[in-house]
Amino acid sequence: MAVDIGGIGHSVKRKEDARFIRGRGNYVDDKKLPGMLYLDIARSPYAHAKILKIDTSKALAIPGVAAVITGNDLVPLKLAWMPTLMGDQQMVLPTDTVMYQSQEVAAVVATERYIAADGAAAIEVEYEPLPVIVDPKKALQPDAFVLRPDRKEKSNHIWHWETGDRAGTDEAFRKAEVTVKEEIYIPRIHVSSIETCGIVASFDKVEGQLTVWMTTQAPHAIRTVIALVAGHLGLAEHKIRVISPDIGGGFGGKVPVYPGYVLAIGASVLTGRPVKWVEDRSENIQADSFARDYHITAEVAAKKDGTVEALRVKTIADHGAFDAAANPSKFPAGLFHIITGSYPFKKAFVEVDGAYTNKPPGGIAYRCSFRVTEAAFTIERLMDTLAHKIGKDPADLRLQNFIPPAAFPYQSALGWEYDSGDYGRALRLAMDKVDYAALRKEQLEKRKKGELMGIGISSFTEIVGAGPSKHFDILGIKMFDSCEIRVHPTGKAIVRLGVKSQGQGHETTFGQIVAEELGIPVADIMVEEGDTDTAPYGLGTYASRSTPVAGAATAIAARKIREKGRLIAAHLLEASPDDVEWKDYKYQVKGVPAKSKTMQEVAFAAYTNHPQGMEAGLEAVDYYDPPNLTYPFGSYICVVDIDRGTGEVKIRRFVAVDDCGTVINPMIVEGQVHGGLTMGLAPALYEQITYDEDGNIQGGNFMDYLLPTAMETPNWETERTVTPSPHHPIGAKGIGESATVGAPAAIANAVVDALAHLGVTHIDIPITPWKVQAILKAKGVAE
Amino acid sequence: MRFAGTLEIAAPRERVWQFVTDPLAVSKCAPDVQSVEVIDPRHFKVVARAGVGPIRATFNLDVVFTELVSPERAIVRARGQAPGSAVEMLSTMALAAAPGDRTTMEWSSDVTVTGTIAQVGARLMQGTADKLTKQVFACIKSTLET
Repeated sequence: MAVDIGGIGHSVKRKEDARFIRGRGNYVDDKKLPGMLYLDIARSPYAHAKILKIDTSKALAIPGVAAVITGNDLVPLKLAWMPTLMGDQQMVLPTDTVMYQSQEVAAVVATERYIAADGAAAIEVEYEPLPVIVDPKKALQPDAFVLRPDRKEKSNHIWHWETGDRAGTDEAFRKAEVTVKEEIYIPRIHVSSIETCGIVASFDKVEGQLTVWMTTQAPHAIRTVIALVAGHLGLAEHKIRVISPDIGGGFGGKVPVYPGYVLAIGASVLTGRPVKWVEDRSENIQADSFARDYHITAEVAAKKDGTVEALRVKTIADHGAFDAAANPSKFPAGLFHIITGSYPFKKAFVEVDGAYTNKPPGGIAYRCSFRVTEAAFTIERLMDTLAHKIGKDPADLRLQNFIPPAAFPYQSALGWEYDSGDYGRALRLAMDKVDYAALRKEQLEKRKKGELMGIGISSFTEIVGAGPSKHFDILGIKMFDSCEIRVHPTGKAIVRLGVKSQGQGHETTFGQIVAEELGIPVADIMVEEGDTDTAPYGLGTYASRSTPVAGAATAIAARKIREKGRLIAAHLLEASPDDVEWKDYKYQVKGVPAKSKTMQEVAFAAYTNHPQGMEAGLEAVDYYDPPNLTYPFGSYICVVDIDRGTGEVKIRRFVAVDDCGTVINPMIVEGQVHGGLTMGLAPALYEQITYDEDGNIQGGNFMDYLLPTAMETPNWETERTVTPSPHHPIGAKGIGESATVGAPAAIANAVVDALAHLGVTHIDIPITPWKVQAILKAKGVAE
Repeated sequence: MRFAGTLEIAAPRERVWQFVTDPLAVSKCAPDVQSVEVIDPRHFKVVARAGVGPIRATFNLDVVFTELVSPERAIVRARGQAPGSAVEMLSTMALAAAPGDRTTMEWSSDVTVTGTIAQVGARLMQGTADKLTKQVFACIKSTLET
């Protein structure tokens, strides 16, 4: 039965793919409205400069240009600045200073996309260059040029955040038998979703109604933000409709409010015509929210036998020109304090200092606001450094130290309560699958011949499902999520959610949860998301929160329907409700399986023959406030061979064992893991955005920013263990980001392992052939 | 980027000075100059095409002699923009009379390029700028020596 209905645990083919593979998806850029205008943006060539003059006359003289918007035009509307989600403010358009290269300087609205671009090119701006700071360490020096004179604090220091037991940790380090330390830089990268960001804003001047189609991962939050930021212009929340149509990849890059969105909305309100803005690839990489950019100093204290005792971490976080991450209010460095990872550190202390630089704002993408990748990379690198120092195999060191299964729920030294885990089982499965012992033997033999082969392990612990309202809010809005289910008379159902898929397959997986709970075949369930006029309020999809939070809401809403259905079934079966149970996907009189009613029969009765005194209809809504976060985990093993001539790292094998608790759709989970692994490979070996001393972006287009394709991607071997979450209604934990969190350390560890006998203890990612070759030359082993 | 060099020109110092401080004359030696508009003897506007490989743009340059000590020393600042790119140049030049009616020119130039050209052409920029500079000085030398 479960197979027929496509309930939990079945590889149901993705329902949404029917339109995607036919090219019938409906993205923002597909939206065309009568009389629509196009917006393009003139951007700053300077990373830091005073604006002396903006001359728009040549742009305005181009036939077809309807309007030009500059910062000064926004001042009377109180829109030149907008608040960020981090209590900072950010320029929509500058009035006197540009803060980073490619920053928006002026917008042109025209009847055609190309005319808008010509208009943007015709805007003449006179700049006076100012000193540029691209290194956050320099930004924090006392004599550094103050980048943000608009702030009260006359320094480039944004905030200091710390957690843990400083004194106890220092004490443990003083007494430690062994300590290791690494300086780790995790460079700036970009999500590079294949669909760039865009919006169509349409303001109806008669009704005062604003409709926007927008590439957003959080449509409800955006609606509220528009109402809060532009309320003084008459945009009230009941007259704002945000529609997030099909989205071609989000990865956190589609959480923020970018100036382009605000400008398009403003232009539509001013002109009364629909306005479309869709950024190009370079604008996307150069100005949209970045990821990472953490300068980490991390130390581990341990016993001589490798038993870990204390962890001490100091980090400088480069936030760019504005602090525009999207963290829960309480945690400016996100969930970075998951950095104790899979190990029972008794003492730990973490501190992070945020700094302004002349770079774009952000820090949202790829688990970035929540900083879990940075944490997992750091602890997994350090475990290898420790293993190397005490002469232990890194697998043995991990197995020796793991938090044991019996210790869950486990209270970490930095305050998290891990829900469930069996880390040893995952690592042992990965070791079996890859044949770890044989690989170590092979490595020894190869070393004798001078060949370079490395094996890297990453046994990461994730932290997802934000989040419990006692800890988690964004702009004060608690991070619950929601589901509304309506079962129609013929037994079909519509399910609406507060989250929003960007390719994760929600239309299938959330249907499967409902199928499992209600016995309605998944084919009979329509899942709808992304329209604030119809969906229940939710905080959106990012940080792997959809299944842990909205998935739980879905199960609970379905159970509310099932409970009402039981009363209807009892009425139909002429039995006492207490004698009716839900079994084998239908209502049965206890002990009399022949006397039963299906959900379809009950649904029909809910509209045609409901018991007297009961409300007609069959629907329910649930706003789920999770009692805790969920803690997916996994163990990855990567095997690399290094070319001694070119320095190229070749991934020979990569075995990924993931545990995301209950698996709703194994095929979709596997797909998520494959995508995540590729997104973990990317920063490990290829991707980075650097800046020269003048603030020029190096890596601001796909010519210089190496996004891995099928050519670079190895064959991923995936396995799984299942350790359900004890507090989630269906035991699911979330899988969206595990692989991108876990993979970089496995790859970096494998490369360092290949070179460890030469005295190499750390290489910063991305580990490019150039970097490796320089090491090989320095060690005298280059071919 | 900083460039510097020394040039021996077989022409008297006064003549070299006249030539290199006359925007209309010297601009004939710069490749791809489209127009020169003299605002006053120390200040002029130049429109020139420049770029790296296929990435080319038309720059509107504002050029000012910030120091003119005839006939021995000049400092010129040029600042300009093309859509998406900007360039900033500070050049110094010192002329010394050499035996036989010759002139020794010592020059240096600090160039900062920002924006699209710097992003896309970063790896090629030094080489391109070097080539352009050589062309300019070769032209100055040959014009003055004929």
